[in-house]
Amino acid sequence: MIPGVFKQFLSLPWQEVLTWPVLVPWLLGMVFGVFVGATPGLTATMAVALIVPISFYLEPNAGLALIIGVSFTAIFAGDIPATYLRIPGTPASAAATLDGNELAKQGRGRLALVIDLLCSCLGGLIGVVVLMLIARPLAQFALFFSDFEYFWLGVLGLSLSALVSRGSTLRGLIAAALGILISTVGTDVMGGVPRYTFGSFELLDGLNFIPVMIGLFGFAEVLRNVSSSQPMATSTIPSQETGVAKASVQEIWKYKWLVLRSALLGTGIGALPGAGADIAAWGAYGFAKVTSRNPEQLGTGAIEGVVAPTSANNAAVAGAWIPALVFGIPGDAVTAIVLGAMMMYNITPGPQLFESGTQVQAIFLIALVTQVLLLPAGLLGIKAFGWILRLPRRLVLTAVMVFSVVGAFAIRNSLFDIYVMFAFGLIGFFLEAKKVPLAPVILGLILGDLIEKKLRAGLISSGGDLTPMFTRPICAALVGLLVIALVLVPAVRWLRMRMRAE
Amino acid sequence: MSQQKSMLFALGWLVIFSLTGAGCGQQGPYPNRSITLICPWAVGGGTDRVSRFWADALQKELGKPVTVVNRTGGSGAVGHSAGVRARPDGYTLTTITFELCTMHRMGIPAAPTYDDYQCLLQINADPAAILVQNDAPWATLEEFLAAIRAEPGKLKMSGTATGGAWDLARAGLLQAAEIPTDAVIWVPTEGAAPSLHELLGGHIDAVCCSIPEAAQNLEGKTLRALVVMSEERLADFPDVPTAREAGVDWVAVGWRGLALPKETPAEIVQLLEEKCQSIAHSSAYRDFMQKQRFGLKIRDSSEFTDFLKAQDAQWHSVVESAGYARAP
Repeated sequence: MIPGVFKQFLSLPWQEVLTWPVLVPWLLGMVFGVFVGATPGLTATMAVALIVPISFYLEPNAGLALIIGVSFTAIFAGDIPATYLRIPGTPASAAATLDGNELAKQGRGRLALVIDLLCSCLGGLIGVVVLMLIARPLAQFALFFSDFEYFWLGVLGLSLSALVSRGSTLRGLIAAALGILISTVGTDVMGGVPRYTFGSFELLDGLNFIPVMIGLFGFAEVLRNVSSSQPMATSTIPSQETGVAKASVQEIWKYKWLVLRSALLGTGIGALPGAGADIAAWGAYGFAKVTSRNPEQLGTGAIEGVVAPTSANNAAVAGAWIPALVFGIPGDAVTAIVLGAMMMYNITPGPQLFESGTQVQAIFLIALVTQVLLLPAGLLGIKAFGWILRLPRRLVLTAVMVFSVVGAFAIRNSLFDIYVMFAFGLIGFFLEAKKVPLAPVILGLILGDLIEKKLRAGLISSGGDLTPMFTRPICAALVGLLVIALVLVPAVRWLRMRMRAE
Repeated sequence: MSQQKSMLFALGWLVIFSLTGAGCGQQGPYPNRSITLICPWAVGGGTDRVSRFWADALQKELGKPVTVVNRTGGSGAVGHSAGVRARPDGYTLTTITFELCTMHRMGIPAAPTYDDYQCLLQINADPAAILVQNDAPWATLEEFLAAIRAEPGKLKMSGTATGGAWDLARAGLLQAAEIPTDAVIWVPTEGAAPSLHELLGGHIDAVCCSIPEAAQNLEGKTLRALVVMSEERLADFPDVPTAREAGVDWVAVGWRGLALPKETPAEIVQLLEEKCQSIAHSSAYRDFMQKQRFGLKIRDSSEFTDFLKAQDAQWHSVVESAGYARAP
């Protein structure tokens, strides 16, 4: 296997891809990706959509390099404001706010981001290698996923979230239930009945996830700071960090298996058309917490909490290419745009492309090299946004306000979403004051929607029969995992504690 | 932070916001400032891609920036009504889509109709098609319909959400064939891509969506089209018969067009119509549509308005008899 990989690696079309006409738009695209990804409300999807019309003026390899560069960089860059300001730049970064922002508060924000960057590169690399080696079997496997499988996947993720949240499990469950409640707002996809919309058509599509998220995390943070008695004039982060590069490499080496595990999980989730980088990041975070030796430390600024979601979200971007290349069916919004762009270059994605070879090899090479180029681009982003940390706190809070308002508006050019953001800021502030964790709210919001849709679609499809929920092979496996996570892991922990006590 | 760095930083954002934002007012003959094209659907979808081509082309024709603004929500109602309520000065255009003729029948509050718009032109038409796995047991539409008649409620189809364009297209087809619409189970999904994935995985029996959405799988021979619901066979897929050829008198076409608010001054409408017509008949547009596999269909303002009137009537009856009609 290994010589085969090496041979495949050498046979990639290096001379065609690594030329100046390709490299220049590629690097410019990555710088653009850093800015768009790091601006809350401007998602990786938007970054790619904005860049695609420009790519039509380039030759195919340059255009693809531009687009692939933007998509990976934007996903990483979303973690920058998530860490520094506790506002996720893109939905995929929500999981990174937890420990990343805690580390930033402890004065280790740069360390968190450099680890984050390295994990993003490694996660992306692992994802692309998986794509190169086993795209076809993985895509065939993903075909087994239908409504009930997604349903259990969602339930598994949601149960993990209640387990993984800090503090009392009861509060975690309340938070998750609140998230599910929020997810039911809007037109019911099955029957077209409007729910909790109170006659407003802005609510027909439900509460947009991004303004809710920005409100809960970003604006709530402002309220909390303003209401605290500490003096506002001091800088957020007192000390300058040194030796970050060495320390981050050491930390990642310590968690190398976690990186690999999270990246593989991320690639797998990314390959499912019904789930993307956001769910991958949360899944990896929950998985890390369940398998961690010190689960109570996650959420308080643990390195593991940075490593797991950031390895997974970039890997999921690579994973989304699997159905796109193998079947010509986009795995997420970004690959949907890319498929459109490929057609402009007279490249037909799908099985023929995969068999004919050369163009697909160029895509693999571009995706691989992008992970390497992500390092300088990402460092530039970390440096460019690093000034935020040195500002006095009152200015940081002002910046958070500006970012929150702009971000909430930008997602669909709607004033209504700004009000949504403010409302959820108040809700988030109240919840945190009552020690209810916010992460399960977000997870309930993302997964509640998935769980409801898939359960109902599954039941429509089975004619109301519940047995396939347990007898379909992947369903049975997922139920098994659920039992392990909810019963066996706590039981083993409890036994261990008792043994230690004796 | 040094002065230079902060300048660079500000510049980065300026570039981004100039790409997404709009301009400000000046005096002079129309057009003297930037123009907005409202797209009622999300970034990256088919309507967004077509809108971005038109924004780019109009910008070249008019010499002023034309920006696409995605106003999504309410199954298209948010963007469509924003386009109606915009100031009628020719600085706000809207890409109108198929849903304009169905949403006001389906209980969406304040949903506009085609009559609230001054239509400019139709720019695209993609007929619905029924796709099955390449090794499916039905060779023709007749066989497929016979299978539905033989065992009502057994076959499963998808393509979009319940009550979406392609659900209505298959409901109308069944009605025209005198089969009850619930003889097929419609499994709701979020669009053509996840539906095609379900079809490839064998979880459903057929997908109803437009040909361009399935083009890669048709060309790759993993899927097969039983019927295309257009008036004539498609040039790119000449082997796929129309519903009429199969003895079912039914045409279902997803369309897109450009429109202005109703009160827009006649001379501005005329100017835009001329510019749009020349773009619509340019080789660049033909090339773009062909590469994207979108169907090219141009109707001028009055033909388009007549077409929309007929569409409104056609879909009204389908929405009613499929049981989706609801008062707003």
